[in-house]
Amino acid sequence: MSREPVHPSAHDVCVVGGGVTGAGVARDLALRGLSVLLLEKGDWGAGTSGSSSWMIHGGPRYLEFDWDTTQLSCQDAGHIVTIARNMVYRVVFIIPVLPNDRNNIERMETAMEVYDRFQPLKKAHPHRRLTADEARQVEPGLSPDVIGAVTMEEWGVDPHRLVFANVQDAVAHGARALNHTRVVDLVRDGGKVIGVRYQGPDGTTSEARARVVVNATGPWSGQIGAMAGVPVKLRPAKGIHIVYPHRISNFSISAESVDGRDLLMVSHAGFTLLGTTDDDFYGDLDSTDVLEDEVEYLLQGIERVFPSIRSYRPVRTTTGVRPTLFKWRKYEDELSRRYEVIDHSTEGVDGFVTIAGGKLSMYRLMAEETSDAVCRKLGHQARCTTAKRPLPGSESDLEPAEQLAERHRISALAATKLQSRHGSNAEKVLSELDSGRLLCRCEPIAEAELVYAVRHEQVRGLTDAFRRVGLAAGPCAGAACVMRASAVIGRELGWSASQRFDAAREFVRGSWLGRAPVLGNSGWAQEELTRGALRGLNL
Amino acid sequence: MGRSDSLTKLAWAYGKHMARRRLTRAPSQLKDLLDTYAADGIVPLQPAERSRHPQLIGCINCGLCALAAGRIGRTRLPDMASSYMRLYARLAEASSDLSGDEPDFEAAAAACPVGVPLAEVAAIVRRLSAG
Repeated sequence: MSREPVHPSAHDVCVVGGGVTGAGVARDLALRGLSVLLLEKGDWGAGTSGSSSWMIHGGPRYLEFDWDTTQLSCQDAGHIVTIARNMVYRVVFIIPVLPNDRNNIERMETAMEVYDRFQPLKKAHPHRRLTADEARQVEPGLSPDVIGAVTMEEWGVDPHRLVFANVQDAVAHGARALNHTRVVDLVRDGGKVIGVRYQGPDGTTSEARARVVVNATGPWSGQIGAMAGVPVKLRPAKGIHIVYPHRISNFSISAESVDGRDLLMVSHAGFTLLGTTDDDFYGDLDSTDVLEDEVEYLLQGIERVFPSIRSYRPVRTTTGVRPTLFKWRKYEDELSRRYEVIDHSTEGVDGFVTIAGGKLSMYRLMAEETSDAVCRKLGHQARCTTAKRPLPGSESDLEPAEQLAERHRISALAATKLQSRHGSNAEKVLSELDSGRLLCRCEPIAEAELVYAVRHEQVRGLTDAFRRVGLAAGPCAGAACVMRASAVIGRELGWSASQRFDAAREFVRGSWLGRAPVLGNSGWAQEELTRGALRGLNL
Repeated sequence: MGRSDSLTKLAWAYGKHMARRRLTRAPSQLKDLLDTYAADGIVPLQPAERSRHPQLIGCINCGLCALAAGRIGRTRLPDMASSYMRLYARLAEASSDLSGDEPDFEAAAAACPVGVPLAEVAAIVRRLSAG
């Protein structure tokens, strides 16, 4: 999938925003036979989607105030788990109960019994109840104060790969998809929106006409809405996560924060996410910093049930802003995760539709309803097929990783990791380059995968490679792989030696911002090693 | 469906739950839990592994152990300590990488600047990769 030359064009629909919702809308509409242009100002999934908890989950906490959201979320999670079967994995939570918790063990089990009614919708197992001793057999690191626990199952997914799989399938069905392309204005004819003006990565501005423009920009919806002269009222909420570069436990752990919110320590494929905060956000959406207070809030909450958490070395933090629908007089945590498809013709602006609110676990349904609204406007009659049609890489079963590894002279672990990103397309990816070389050993990443990503997955720099193949996501924070990766990307894109050098330096400086709030003693040891290894970059 | 509606339903479910708890004695669900998720590679760490775990995952991938000792099976020691220690749930699929010769773990651990106990790392990785 190569970048196409920027030129004026005409489409049925232009979708603005390349997060999971925008990518899902583009895929849905392309599958319905419409011509689609998808534009993303940064990289695919670089905003709210990428900074999520990496889970397809139903949201049992909504049972206290919004059962419909839990049910819808579980239903759509079931569809996503089906169409992305080679990308998802089970995440099993232990929910420990302490003597003075807001919910005692009976109330907690009641909530899980209710949640079990929805679990079959997403192909998950029912909860189990454990005594204190049993809970510590499952996770010996739990606090001795724990008096019992229940378990709960959810699904994990790499949101960057999920977003890109949607983009990939949209393109396979005729869509144009451009990343690093910013919409600078909407083209209007009287009250009607008839297209977009956008700026590509080389700075050139182009125009595209579209019969309908879809605003799927998440927390940025208000900014795009303003270009059309309509308000899109959100209550953006900032959330951060601490990233540990290992599975701290095979079981994920839930805990209560100092203000009674649910915190999650989630065990993903090769790392752990601890999050999240939920605070009203009024700042610059393109510059959200993590504060040490936020880090402390998370650590304080989780260490009540998992006391050794401070012995573990975080590798970085992530931060994002949720596009929550506006509501007055509610605590952030009580805000519904519902979504709304807004046809702005009721406000006198035709040809413009916004999808606002929602969550990753319902992205497919949000995309379906948005696409339905677009099709109604266009008088286009075609049914949604995304609930059943597999995403790229999930069409067939995976072959044993050891066989794939042997054919391509890589380790079985590298093959396993590659399959988790590309599913049944792993063979195609490795066939891109006849090389058994691993670029990054701690992730691990085959050189062939990065070459494939540059040639076919719109990787234009090291940060794109971080999202697409997990570059520098491991414990060494890129000490060993950044320069190698820059050389490979540079070779493919025709960078000069100084461009490769600059790209590596920019990447290391950028990733420092996410690491700085969590560096402890061993973190500084790693940082010193990284800086020593990369001393030539003049950081 | 609003908050009061949701809370009413939860209260009803709670009443039923408490009645059932009083009338029946629930058997242990631990074995069922472990059996359910073993196929996904989701197995507990042992207490000894847990207490040493922060040290076991301390590798900073400097590569010095690879200079001091050979490979474990086909795998370089820094790779075992960094990447194989990250991916417990799917280690069974990569067990062939680790089968074969054992290096001189004592020499390797002596070279480690952050004190990773490499013999213990090898033991946990092999246990989990055995499935």
